[in-house]
Amino acid sequence: MTIKEMLKVELRDLVLLGIIVAMKIILSRFTVGTTIVHVSLGFIGSVMLGYLFGPVWGSIGGGISDLVSSALFGNQGGFFLGFTLSAMIGPFIYGLVFYQKPVKVWRIILATLLVTFVVNIGLNTLWVHLLYGMDFRVVLIQRIPKEAITPWLEMIISYFVLNAISRVRIKR
Amino acid sequence: MSKILIGRYVAGDSIVYRMDPRGKLLATILFILFVFLANNPISYLIVTIFSLAAVAATKLKPKIFWDGVKPLIWLILFTSFLQLFFTVGGTVYWRWTIFALSSYGFTNAIFIFIRFTVIILISTVMTVTTKPLEIADAIEWLLKPLKLIRIPVDKIALVMSIALRFVPTLFDETFKIMNAQRSRGADFNNGGLVTRAKAITPLLVPLFINSLETAIDLSTAMESRGYRGDKGRTKFRVLKWSNVDFINLFYFVLLLGLLLVFRTH
Repeated sequence: MTIKEMLKVELRDLVLLGIIVAMKIILSRFTVGTTIVHVSLGFIGSVMLGYLFGPVWGSIGGGISDLVSSALFGNQGGFFLGFTLSAMIGPFIYGLVFYQKPVKVWRIILATLLVTFVVNIGLNTLWVHLLYGMDFRVVLIQRIPKEAITPWLEMIISYFVLNAISRVRIKR
Repeated sequence: MSKILIGRYVAGDSIVYRMDPRGKLLATILFILFVFLANNPISYLIVTIFSLAAVAATKLKPKIFWDGVKPLIWLILFTSFLQLFFTVGGTVYWRWTIFALSSYGFTNAIFIFIRFTVIILISTVMTVTTKPLEIADAIEWLLKPLKLIRIPVDKIALVMSIALRFVPTLFDETFKIMNAQRSRGADFNNGGLVTRAKAITPLLVPLFINSLETAIDLSTAMESRGYRGDKGRTKFRVLKWSNVDFINLFYFVLLLGLLLVFRTH
């Protein structure tokens, strides 16, 4: 498939993309977990974007979700295009792994680990380092404890969510 | 209505409110980039003065800005504190393996504290004085150059306005579904991790089915109203530049000039 074909969409899918983006924004306002560990549900939005729309439109949707949520709620920690890029790469990776493929445990583990390493640990650390001029090690020390726990929780949730959503798609 | 407040816009009337959202958004992005230039006490002082001036120009109560900083204050302090121990240089007062307290560490920690606060303040000025819809229009305008590399900006703009419009609706929908499931015994806040992860499906699936139905309905409605793609359409909401925006521009040229002069090269 060429890029041009990938960018072609029907109005219905475009509207659905808008609504899923809205859903991602809402989900990122919710957290799940105990008092010690809690995970924002925004990643479910990324998983859905990647699974339903593929890497190209999924990443566009991810970028839009970051822009719209900054317009609505303001960006904690400032407007910075690096974080928009991070928001795009998450659904991109999920799209590469999940789009038009059967839901498998290894795919979920692979995608979640990739997103954790590339986006959460890699890029976001880089943005914080650039934006606030902090030492790289300092940013990592803050991040590592959380990123050591959340991926496993995200995998479990992704598994249930993807199974549920694929059932909805089959029904149609 | 939903419990969580949507939009941080606070009504007011000052020069900042009369500025074009495009100018404000550009100014915010540029300001954050300009902060990168600051690298010595004088340049950090200049950045602080400029951001405080922007805050003062909004004529809003300080509490609104404090609310912007508050959720992050511990992170900011903790980060500055960590930075204190990781920077070595100048006079060293105390040292233990990789940790050290030095004069460079102190200035560095203060710089990072200022950087954090200033970036949050400026972003707060932006979101508090501009309506979400205006920010979205400004983002759409800023994305326009991407047309040159054949990115479907009009489609992106459509998706953006649909998302913006449906956030409040879906918010209410989410709470309704949660309450409906709760009334039949669903528990979203108890149990082990796997139980909690499972508890999300009875929330997500109805939400997703609703979204699918809304998308079908809305696209049918749009097509019956004559929507045939984004080309060859006019705009109802138009943004206009005014004299106030020149003040905004001048302010940022001045900031850039001062920073370039006073930073250590």
